[in-house]
Amino acid sequence: MIPTICLVFLFFSQAFPQKDSSDYFDINSTSNIKKFADYLFCADDYLRAALEYEKYLSSYYNDTVEFKIGLSYSRIGNYSKAIEWFNKIKNNSGFSNDARNEYFKSLFQSGDYYNFRKYYSENIVNNDKIRNLDKLFYFSYFFTDDELPPRNDFLNPFNLKEENKINEFYQRKTNPPYKSVAAAVIMSSLIPGSGKIYTGQIGDGIIAAIATGLCGYLAYDNFKAKHNFRGWVFSGLIAFFYAGNIYGSAASAQIYNAGIQFNFQNDVKLYLNQQNYFTPEYDFCK
Amino acid sequence: MTFVNKIFFYFLFVSLIALFFNSNSFSQNEFQKQLKIQFDFAKELYNKEEYFDAITELKRLIFFDKEKEYSYSANELIGETYKMGAKFSDAIQYFTLAVIHSTNNEELFNSKIEIIRVNILRRTIDRALSLLDSLDSDKRFSNKKIDISYWRGWAYIFEDKWNKAAQEFNKVDSDHELKKLSEQVENSKYSVAEAKILSFIFPGAGQFYTGNYISGILSFGWNLLWGYITINSFIKDRIFDGIVVGELLWLRFYRGNLQNAEKFAEEKNKEISNKALNFLQFEYNGPKP
Repeated sequence: MIPTICLVFLFFSQAFPQKDSSDYFDINSTSNIKKFADYLFCADDYLRAALEYEKYLSSYYNDTVEFKIGLSYSRIGNYSKAIEWFNKIKNNSGFSNDARNEYFKSLFQSGDYYNFRKYYSENIVNNDKIRNLDKLFYFSYFFTDDELPPRNDFLNPFNLKEENKINEFYQRKTNPPYKSVAAAVIMSSLIPGSGKIYTGQIGDGIIAAIATGLCGYLAYDNFKAKHNFRGWVFSGLIAFFYAGNIYGSAASAQIYNAGIQFNFQNDVKLYLNQQNYFTPEYDFCK
Repeated sequence: MTFVNKIFFYFLFVSLIALFFNSNSFSQNEFQKQLKIQFDFAKELYNKEEYFDAITELKRLIFFDKEKEYSYSANELIGETYKMGAKFSDAIQYFTLAVIHSTNNEELFNSKIEIIRVNILRRTIDRALSLLDSLDSDKRFSNKKIDISYWRGWAYIFEDKWNKAAQEFNKVDSDHELKKLSEQVENSKYSVAEAKILSFIFPGAGQFYTGNYISGILSFGWNLLWGYITINSFIKDRIFDGIVVGELLWLRFYRGNLQNAEKFAEEKNKEISNKALNFLQFEYNGPKP
């Protein structure tokens, strides 16, 4: 009896722990590299996580790890690498759909909208997950100068809850409330300051009108009273204010228009971020 | 079972138990050796200025060091490495972890000083000074007053308060190199108030004081011209002309002259400070933030 107990004890105490301790010993063993990479991934240290996962993949094939490498690169904004890794995931993998979603998301986020649309059109498949990508497909038109697809087609992939917001973006893209630079210049040439008021710079416009008008009056009055030197000083000031005001109106219209475009793209990006670019959240760190 | 058999099985049992514990202790030693090798490897990477890899290896060490034997030294080194890469917030995060894992007062003091040094470097001087104050009032570090004064002096240098810096270095050593440098910088600085007062009394004089002669002459010329036209308008009973020229032109150039004098004095002072900081960065051999 005792020898049997001893042998069983020996077996369990040495044989099984031995397996763990070999991992325990070598902190650079393949399984430990993966454990460390998982830890880095969950600590948001994505670049290091990706490099460790890549080290792991040199010994074993694992599609989850491939997907996590793609995600890591995507999360640090290295979209070209992310695209490369999502592209590697095979069609028979459980991650193939997610990888395709993430591939297109990375392509979109890299700002390569033309290739996004080209590849998407070539790979279009009718299923629910891809339908989510339809939304991104239409959103890409907000960032290019291409003509927008008809409103009904555009709204088609979006649900009722999203439709209002998309309609608003569509409206802002098709009819941006731009101010005409030519109109601002002409207005300021005719009535100093009016071009600035037109572009929303009301305070500047009023000051420009008063300064030019005042100098004009003083120049006229001084010439009339034969104070030619002061007359010329005020004339010089009128020329300075008048030219500055026309130039300022043109610049103000351009700045206003750039602001409209910038705010529009910012709002769209903010909305896409809130929606996580219509891709699901993955929780590998539970 | 015979007596001999009993003895035999007893010895067998004891040997197996001994083998089990011995083998585990062997594993433990091997593991500690591995961690030591890992730490040395990370240090080597740090010394070779391969900072990204050094941090990776140190993080690996921390991850596998379940006994937390290297928690202080690894976190301290990660902080140091982030600091070398100018990632100051990350550096402070890891120095704070080093503070948490410090095992004695010396380690605690060193990691707190490291946090202060990073705060000095990233110019969050108020934070650095408040941390120095808390170290100063901590009885455990009553024998570290000189170090505290030394780093307070550096904090004042980075805050551009060279006079206060000189006072702190004086506490370290009345003949300290940094004390002399701080005094020298303080003495060679321009007085911003003096520059403004000079320009207030005589337009352009503040610019002359700071060595900007052309700007001084221009400022004087513009003020003379618009001053003359303004006064002339009032003399000729063209009151409205006088007010407009005086307000729109003369006062504008007069205010500009004051602002200019202030700006030039500040710029000159910055130049002097930067020259001193440049010297400290490249030629001073003592401990630096």
